[in-house]
Amino acid sequence: MNNVKKTILLGLFVSQALILSIVESWIPVPAPVPGVKLGLANIITVITIIFFGFREALAVVFVRCVLSSIFGGGGWMLFLFSVTGGILSAAVMSLLYKSGRDKFSITGISIAGAISHNIGQILVAAFFMKDLAVAVVLPVLLISGCIMGFFVGLVSSFLEGALRKTRIFD
Amino acid sequence: MLKKGDLFIFGFVIILIAVSFFGVSLYKNSGKNTNKIAVIIKDNQEIQRIEIDAVNEPMEIMISGEYNDIILVEKGRIRFKEADCPDKVCVNTGWLTEKGDMAVCLPNKTMIKIEGQSSDVDIVTY
Amino acid sequence: MTKKFSIIILCLALCMGVLLSSCRLNSSNLYETHEFLMGTVIIQKIYHKDADKIAKEVNDRIAGIESAMTINKSGGEINLLNDAAGKEYVKLGEDTLYVLNKAKQYGEISNGAFDVTIGPLVKSWGVFTDNPKVPSKSEIDELLKLVNYKDINIDFENSTAMLSKKGQIVDLGGIAKGFAGDAAIEIYKKYGVESALISLGGNILTLGGKPDGTPWSVGIRNPRGADGSYIGIVSVKDKAVVSSGDYERFFEKDGVRYHHILDPKTGYPANTGLIGTTIVSDYSIDADALSTTVFVLGLEEGMKLVESLEGVEAVFITEDKKIYVTDGLKDTFTFKDESKEFEYVEKR
Repeated sequence: MNNVKKTILLGLFVSQALILSIVESWIPVPAPVPGVKLGLANIITVITIIFFGFREALAVVFVRCVLSSIFGGGGWMLFLFSVTGGILSAAVMSLLYKSGRDKFSITGISIAGAISHNIGQILVAAFFMKDLAVAVVLPVLLISGCIMGFFVGLVSSFLEGALRKTRIFD
Repeated sequence: MLKKGDLFIFGFVIILIAVSFFGVSLYKNSGKNTNKIAVIIKDNQEIQRIEIDAVNEPMEIMISGEYNDIILVEKGRIRFKEADCPDKVCVNTGWLTEKGDMAVCLPNKTMIKIEGQSSDVDIVTY
Repeated sequence: MTKKFSIIILCLALCMGVLLSSCRLNSSNLYETHEFLMGTVIIQKIYHKDADKIAKEVNDRIAGIESAMTINKSGGEINLLNDAAGKEYVKLGEDTLYVLNKAKQYGEISNGAFDVTIGPLVKSWGVFTDNPKVPSKSEIDELLKLVNYKDINIDFENSTAMLSKKGQIVDLGGIAKGFAGDAAIEIYKKYGVESALISLGGNILTLGGKPDGTPWSVGIRNPRGADGSYIGIVSVKDKAVVSSGDYERFFEKDGVRYHHILDPKTGYPANTGLIGTTIVSDYSIDADALSTTVFVLGLEEGMKLVESLEGVEAVFITEDKKIYVTDGLKDTFTFKDESKEFEYVEKR
């Protein structure tokens, strides 16, 4: 794939991720701290990992977060929340993906990604509050993360199939 | 759709959830005789401690800073009643009633959390 | 395969529901109030859905007992009794009659170490007032003539009582709070309360244990420490724990500490080597009277008296900072002294 095509496609991914980010911010999350999100945008992260790779996924996450905090307000605190969760989940997911598609299904990978996303956000929250007490929401957050991860996985599997058929990525 | 490795992921996640659940339960139940003390922290400084179980009349506490918050204390519970910060996550968190519960107004750098003040005795004679 | 996934996810969702609900299992229905009555703070901790109603009823009952038995305010029956001393019998209500009789009984059991007719001496010393003084020996000797529990005459048939000599004064301060505590527990029981704790100016009564079944942990006040400091803990269910000591009310003159527990035989603050006593028993009227009694009796006599009574245990703290505990209490007493100044003597 030539570079121009790649850049355009990644740009599209970023904008999709942005929209998903905005949509998921409308869903209330059981955490006392702002900026904790469910991880819908992980759909794009997974797809980027599948069709491109870890580095590209990281770039998409980063750009998406920067733009999201610029457009959404909330400043650098919100940025840190999203970016940590996003990077952690991208890392975990690409690790699992690379170790073999025969071993892990997209759904399984997405669940792992969602969990990592949540853990990353809690870590940042704890760092901000200088207090580990935020971790009390972990059990509930992890469960909702699983459910969200499952959903993300389903969507991503579908998307993957659909996108492959279009042959854009060949 | 289910692959071999997925089972590992599941196992791991379930263990994670179980561990965090037990950890949180332990924290909430630790200390033989715990009074619930609501601690109000602003700019990383503790500014007030309230024994919420001993409060009989509701009372309000004003916090001013970059933004203004009003904290409402009633018997056994506390919450952010009003805040003029942009996201209002603090107010939406609702009532804090158990040890470990917390609410944060990040823009105003204000936090309420409920600690347990552990003591070996329930009361002392005199 | 998707079906298996869905089942797992469903289970997880169920877990979430369980988690959220179990987090609230610990929701305490503890109701706590603080009220100023009988010249001191009354703290109630009640676990019951109607706790606020019950607490109010208890406070009202205590207020009633106070008005009937106080001599620090006007009105009430004991004032009538004292005014009619040496003159005539006065009608007394059920509560007052009961307490007066109990007080007289403790006079008998203790051979006069506990004597509620000590009123004239208490007044003279004024330890409870803003102007305490050390009365002259001659004044004390004069007033001692008015101190004699045997002069309390009770006519049960007519529900009346009289003090034999003019000028005699009954002061129920050492026993009224004990009676009030038991009355509170009766009210708790009436409403089916299973777990409660009440403190009447430091006299502690417990009903049942705590809601989780564990006993209440009651600290025994450190007689030389700050408010709330303790030298040991007793784990109790359905018991009253009452302490007396020379730290409660005292004044100092010329370097000597004069405390409020007068010895009815000498007319001076009891000086038998004890600085604190604590009684653990089923009823607080007993604990209240006995804690003062054994303080006046001293370690040896006090131990003997407690050991001769069923269902009563005690802690003695001597002025050389040693702690002695009766055998029946050894299992539930835990020595814990952060000041590290006291010594727990296990064998006598």
